[in-house]
Amino acid sequence: MASSLTWTLPGTWPLRTVTQPMRPAEPELSDLDERSLVEACLRGRSAAFEVIVERHRRSVYLLCYRFVSNHEDASDLSQDVFLRAYRGLRSFRGQSSLATWLYRIGVNVCLNRVGAKKPLSESIADRQFVDETAESASDRLLKDERGARVRAAIAQLPRKQRATLVLRMYHEMSHQEIADVLGSSVGAVKANFFHALSNLKKMLGGEVL
Amino acid sequence: MHLRPDELIDLAEGTRAESSAAHLDECAVCRLHLAELKAMMSTAADVDVPEPSPLFWDHFSARVRQAVDAEGAPRRSFWTWPRVVIPAISVATAVLAVAVTVNRGNAGHGIAPLPAVVPAPVVLPVASVDLLADPQSAGDTALTLVAELSSDMDFETARDAGLAARGSAEHAVTHLTGSELRELQRLLQEELARSGA
Repeated sequence: MASSLTWTLPGTWPLRTVTQPMRPAEPELSDLDERSLVEACLRGRSAAFEVIVERHRRSVYLLCYRFVSNHEDASDLSQDVFLRAYRGLRSFRGQSSLATWLYRIGVNVCLNRVGAKKPLSESIADRQFVDETAESASDRLLKDERGARVRAAIAQLPRKQRATLVLRMYHEMSHQEIADVLGSSVGAVKANFFHALSNLKKMLGGEVL
Repeated sequence: MHLRPDELIDLAEGTRAESSAAHLDECAVCRLHLAELKAMMSTAADVDVPEPSPLFWDHFSARVRQAVDAEGAPRRSFWTWPRVVIPAISVATAVLAVAVTVNRGNAGHGIAPLPAVVPAPVVLPVASVDLLADPQSAGDTALTLVAELSSDMDFETARDAGLAARGSAEHAVTHLTGSELRELQRLLQEELARSGA
């Protein structure tokens, strides 16, 4: 594509017409699909990775929070997930969605951290933001307490049971997808899910049923 | 025979109809298991993660940006390495194999081995080897003379005399034939006569 640009020069200079090629405009990053964002990032457009982070940061954070049950660790783990994703961006081949690929990294990061560090449960007072419009204060408090107990119990589950329960219950992944992420069979995933729920029942007793 | 965990999960998630599991009608234990699984799934599903402050996300993105900036460009994937590394390793292995093969062949013809491939020779003092203790050499007067003459010989001297053909003084001394020993005796006697010792 070429365009003609006419420059009007001051004084007695003759009028000149300069013809030069015009580069096609870079598309808006926010309009790009995942694969194009990855390619743009690999071509050196670091802003493309920022778009990826912006699109997936919440789901990655929620995944991490389900594992560790506290904001501080979830925040650190989420950052680690994106950093690892950036390092390994060339290995993303688009065979799964970027979200699934990030989940896979997230689960590995969380499982490694969970194995190395005892999870800290977050007190209700530490919670950062509460939507106060929907429920009464007492209802909200009861729900918060129950939620905190369940999250704390989930954080005590063995690693694979916890991963299976989190991915199945909160990220709606199929048993096959979970098996792919965890490197196990569908039968093992279902067995882990069964034992996770049974152990949760034992830990919580009848208090939240 | 009770229902297996995977069967109970399929029933609890509704991917398999309870009507298809006739065992449930006659087993109170499995019915109780199934009811508990459903209740626990409902309880777990009802638990939300507390949303962080809206300000957190900008702060989080800034942290990731800083970490990524410190990281530099995305690295070459491990899975792309083989395209470069495997041929390089193959070539290096082939070169090493050829070097070892050639070296072994040369060593059999008395050519000095490549220092980079063959380990440094173990230097044993010739004097520590008792030639006369060899029953095949017992009573050999020539050997007696050689033993006496070489009792003070160091490794360097032995090697210069051709006694360390494979890089080892022990090998040189213990692998000489009778005729070689006699030849060595003659050479030594000539050398002694020339030097007037």
